[in-house]
Amino acid sequence: MRTTLLLLLVAFLASIPFLGSSYLPTFFIILFMNLILASSYDIVGGYLGYVNLGHAVFFGLGAYTFGITWNAQAPLGVAFVCAVAAAVIFAALMAYPFFRLHGAYFSLGTFGLIRLFELLAFNFGSLTGGSGGLSVPSSYRLLPTFYTTLILALLTLAIVYKIAKSRLGLAFVSIREDEKVARDFGVPVLRYQTLALMLSASIAGLMGAVYTWYIIYINPEAVFGTEMALLPVAMAMLGGTGAIAGPVIGAVFISIVEEFLWTKLPYLHLAAYGLVIAGVGLFMPGGIVRVPFIEARLRWLGLVEDL
Amino acid sequence: MAARLGKEFMATVSLQLIIGGILQGGIYALAAFGLSLIFGVSNILNLAHGEFLMLGAMVSFLVYTGTELSPFVTALGLIPLFFAVGSLFERGLIRPLSGRPDHMRLVASILVTLGASIAIEDFASFAFGPNEKALAYTLPSFQVGPIIVSTIRLAGLAFILVLTLALHTFLKRTYQGRAIVATTQSRRGAMLVGVNIQRVANLSFGIGAILAALAGVFFVIMFPVTPYVGLPLTLKYLCIIVLGGLGSLFGTLLGGLVLGLVEILVAYYSPHWSETSAFIILVLILLIRPQGLFGRFSG
Repeated sequence: MRTTLLLLLVAFLASIPFLGSSYLPTFFIILFMNLILASSYDIVGGYLGYVNLGHAVFFGLGAYTFGITWNAQAPLGVAFVCAVAAAVIFAALMAYPFFRLHGAYFSLGTFGLIRLFELLAFNFGSLTGGSGGLSVPSSYRLLPTFYTTLILALLTLAIVYKIAKSRLGLAFVSIREDEKVARDFGVPVLRYQTLALMLSASIAGLMGAVYTWYIIYINPEAVFGTEMALLPVAMAMLGGTGAIAGPVIGAVFISIVEEFLWTKLPYLHLAAYGLVIAGVGLFMPGGIVRVPFIEARLRWLGLVEDL
Repeated sequence: MAARLGKEFMATVSLQLIIGGILQGGIYALAAFGLSLIFGVSNILNLAHGEFLMLGAMVSFLVYTGTELSPFVTALGLIPLFFAVGSLFERGLIRPLSGRPDHMRLVASILVTLGASIAIEDFASFAFGPNEKALAYTLPSFQVGPIIVSTIRLAGLAFILVLTLALHTFLKRTYQGRAIVATTQSRRGAMLVGVNIQRVANLSFGIGAILAALAGVFFVIMFPVTPYVGLPLTLKYLCIIVLGGLGSLFGTLLGGLVLGLVEILVAYYSPHWSETSAFIILVLILLIRPQGLFGRFSG
């Protein structure tokens, strides 16, 4: 029953480009991108319990590495691999110093990191194009991007689902609940923290590369800016962290709210967006998925795990 | 500014730069200390802190353009106003989060303060317009030997010095101040000896908002201000807290001064790298001393 429902949903999503509207695929590409970033953030933010405000660093690294290598005449596949490699290697390097920080200090440090990357992207103009941005050759990519992001979104959810159901996920959650106890019980804390960050980075880095490929033009503000940094975090928290359905619901909700506000409100749509985020923090502890009515429905679908 | 200073002797230039750096650092320290106080007392990462500064700057700009009243006088009027703003902020947005488990509270506090920050910026941009506001308030400068001393900067430094001393006295000598310090050191210990934690948290938000708003007044005298300066500035203050160590007035002051001086000196040689240097310092400090330069770690 559940499998049938999910297959039907996937079939519906795959047939969206054939519904005749050219607007729908564009909207869904953004939605899938939000979903991928929010879900990959949640590996570290939700399961491991470290609020990584610098998740967009991996996205931006992927985006820039792809753009730079592809412009240097590297084959498309190589450029994608380089983008993922850059994000993963950086994640491995930053794991040791940053996981020495805990709680709000970790968030603070990673938030500083994203700002540092934005400024570095501005300053190394010879490599990144600076404030002028970076362009890659254009061609028709709407449908290829649609299916790439759809597949990447499904893949991300499959990875998160696998993690949540495995010993690895259990280890992550034990670190979230009490790091000292986890260490005493023989969980190799730093190794798992590094692994979680690298997994999270690889997905975000790949998404960054796809973003550059699709959007053709990037600049430091677009990939390392504050909005880009906070959006995936806000979506995951809004939907509910540490549950596979959480980031999905958050991403869908925010994508729709943004589209709706964009068309209906001439002014103050950012303010309304801010109020929605603050309201969820105030009135929905644990996010939308933890609202009892919704949680019961999701549990029936098998999309909430008790970790 | 660097270009104007370039005409002076090298020694004079470096003295001017250092004075400029100290003033900028003082402004940073002022706002950062409020943030550090809030973080120390309630363990809340207040991402909306820079918005208090922006609002303080906007109000003093509006008062000045409307009535030509000296911003230093406006600053005095801002004290009760922003105490009310800060404590209302705590009452409405932060207090409801207390009592949740630590991890959930961190998540919720980020959502709430971030949402508030985005909303305040957008409302401010709607109400005051999104363009840059610069307050054209000057006082005559005078010359001591080869050094040109700007009266405004001197007054600013004096104001910051007086505020720091007042704050120091408040924290050391009064019951409420000592209750704040006690809560920063140990929340449970303070509760055990009968400190009203909620009132202390409310007080620290009020004081934090005052300090940020006053920093905003100096900020708008020196630099143009847009409704969007809040979040990047908050980030810089967080950087200072890390630099100085949590909850230490002395450390925060020193952290602010170090950052102000580094920024001004780097800006003199290469304006592009001025802001970058602040965040490179942040990351380096985290790598070398995660507990901050002068602080003890209490994570």
